Amino acid sequence: MTCKRIFCLLAGVTVVLASTVAWSAEIHGTSSTQYVWFNDIFTGNKQAEFGEYLNLSITKVDTEGKLTFQGYGRVTEDVRNGYGDQGRLYYLYGDYSNLYDKVDLRLGRQFVNYAAGTALIDGGKIDLKNVGPVSFSVMGGRNVIFGLGGETSQTRSFAFGTAAYLAGFKNTDAEISYFMKFDNDGLARDQIGGTFKQYYDAFKVYANTRFDLPSDTFTELLTGVKYFPMSNLVLTLEWYQSYPVFDSTSIFSIFAVDRYQETLIRGDYTINDQISVNAGYKREFFGEGNDGSDVIEIGCRIQPIQKLLVNLNFDRNNGYGGNLSGGGADVVYTPIKPLEVAAGFQYDVYAFDRTTGDETARRYWLGGKYRLTKNTSASVRIEDNDNAQYKSDWKGRVVFNYDF
Amino acid sequence: MKRLVLILALLGLGLVCMQQRSYADKKIAHADYAKMAIKDCNDCHKGEGVAPNHDSDFVRNHRVLASNAGNNCSQCHSQAFCLDCHQGGGTGDDLNQSNARRDYEPKSHRSGWLQIHPIKAQDNQQNCYRCHDETYCAACHVKLPQSSLKSLGGFVSHRPNTTGPAWGTAHGSEARKNLQACQTCHEDGSVCKNCHSTKSAAGGGVNPHPSGFKGGNYNSRSNGKVCLQCHLPGTF
Repeated sequence: MTCKRIFCLLAGVTVVLASTVAWSAEIHGTSSTQYVWFNDIFTGNKQAEFGEYLNLSITKVDTEGKLTFQGYGRVTEDVRNGYGDQGRLYYLYGDYSNLYDKVDLRLGRQFVNYAAGTALIDGGKIDLKNVGPVSFSVMGGRNVIFGLGGETSQTRSFAFGTAAYLAGFKNTDAEISYFMKFDNDGLARDQIGGTFKQYYDAFKVYANTRFDLPSDTFTELLTGVKYFPMSNLVLTLEWYQSYPVFDSTSIFSIFAVDRYQETLIRGDYTINDQISVNAGYKREFFGEGNDGSDVIEIGCRIQPIQKLLVNLNFDRNNGYGGNLSGGGADVVYTPIKPLEVAAGFQYDVYAFDRTTGDETARRYWLGGKYRLTKNTSASVRIEDNDNAQYKSDWKGRVVFNYDF
Repeated sequence: MKRLVLILALLGLGLVCMQQRSYADKKIAHADYAKMAIKDCNDCHKGEGVAPNHDSDFVRNHRVLASNAGNNCSQCHSQAFCLDCHQGGGTGDDLNQSNARRDYEPKSHRSGWLQIHPIKAQDNQQNCYRCHDETYCAACHVKLPQSSLKSLGGFVSHRPNTTGPAWGTAHGSEARKNLQACQTCHEDGSVCKNCHSTKSAAGGGVNPHPSGFKGGNYNSRSNGKVCLQCHLPGTF
């Protein structure tokens, strides 16, 4: 409910500000009015909803252009089963940059991403920069969690973090950070993170890690190298390991768990403007025994003429946890500039284990988008799914977008 | 922990020394190139020896780029670019993008995702948590008839003929490999406590902790609430 109020406030402010000709601020954004329909997986009933998205950016508020506002949210209203309305405010914040040429301030709902942790917060973030080769960041606020419908944050959900990162090197990125999360029962997450990237002439070496303080364990550790023998060929070699972690306030945090590891090799090659291909192999290791899985991925992007784009992909996952093989294709055709027509399908075969046998899942979709004027467009997308649960599961959306 | 403090102290010392020097070799601002086609980025990056970051591996690999407080993503992308996938939004411009109920569905969620996701959830278990809170799984599963789920056939411990010592071995092995799957249906862990709790009426007390378990860390962080689920006050 709070989300909807804030969303309405966001829309109201936009209208008022847009009509205030004396004010020099620039207001840009997108209004997206949508009608979506789908099957409710819990009841099996067909559900239909109207939705309104508003993505807003207000710049040049002050003469120096240091203050900006950004907002993005939606409200939806069920029009078939009487489930009522729902809202989701993704972000709404004010940004003041270059205070004394050293400080960036951001206040409001925002998405924050440190190596140690990620959160959507109602709070603030302060960056201290231009004080040497290392810059600093600190953030904190109420931790916003979205569930299947609206917000599911607990009354004492909070997240805080701080980071120090390199800012004075052209070919080197590095960050070390700390992240903590509270819930109703106490300190749920308490972790340190780090990330590192070094660019050489034809190489990029990178690493990313998270260390969980309560369990005294590296919960994630990724190291990799990308090699660029030519500008259109990228070869990747990676090793990754993780330990599952749970909130320290959850009973599941005290159980012994096994390490998961994977090794990946991959190549991405752009042959020319018309064709690019990619292929990869990943070996997954589960626990200390012999349980493992082989994963193969192949993809291709073909653009024989400017107006036509074809994407093909196939992957196969064979081993622990079940078998899954599938592929898909999608085509985008632009016969005339304002019109885009697209279609695709996906076909998957999977088995949880030998006793259940193979099952299939198929998806077919078709869509079209037409730019009506320079700043308005309309699109339609319909999709049918044929799988173990539904013989036919139609869903889709009709969208009208207005850019301002 | 002592090692960690030592490492942090050394890093701090290095930091103080580094801040005394000036560095002019800063990164180029990319805002002016925000609307450029990705294929044209190589015109600069090739000559400068800086790896192009937005190749066809971007979706899988972008975490390394983005999980850095100093990333420059915002020079070209608004936060909507992240949250449309991670929190299910979208203005419908991408015809390729499917819907999962009212939310837009990331491409990693393939056809028949409802049926297939038990297989993908066995992979790297951190993947699900990148977008979903751990209560997200339970929100669906509590509404479904759990005992008839086909995916249960994938768990040896949940097959009808797995009983007695065989069950003990199987469930332990499977729980260690994918404890999140257990949590999905046994949200409060009450089933686990039947045997593992020292307070269990059935006897219990089977130690579930890993070797070198640092129980004090969980005790202090949860104000004892986690420990008291299985131990009597004053016994841990």
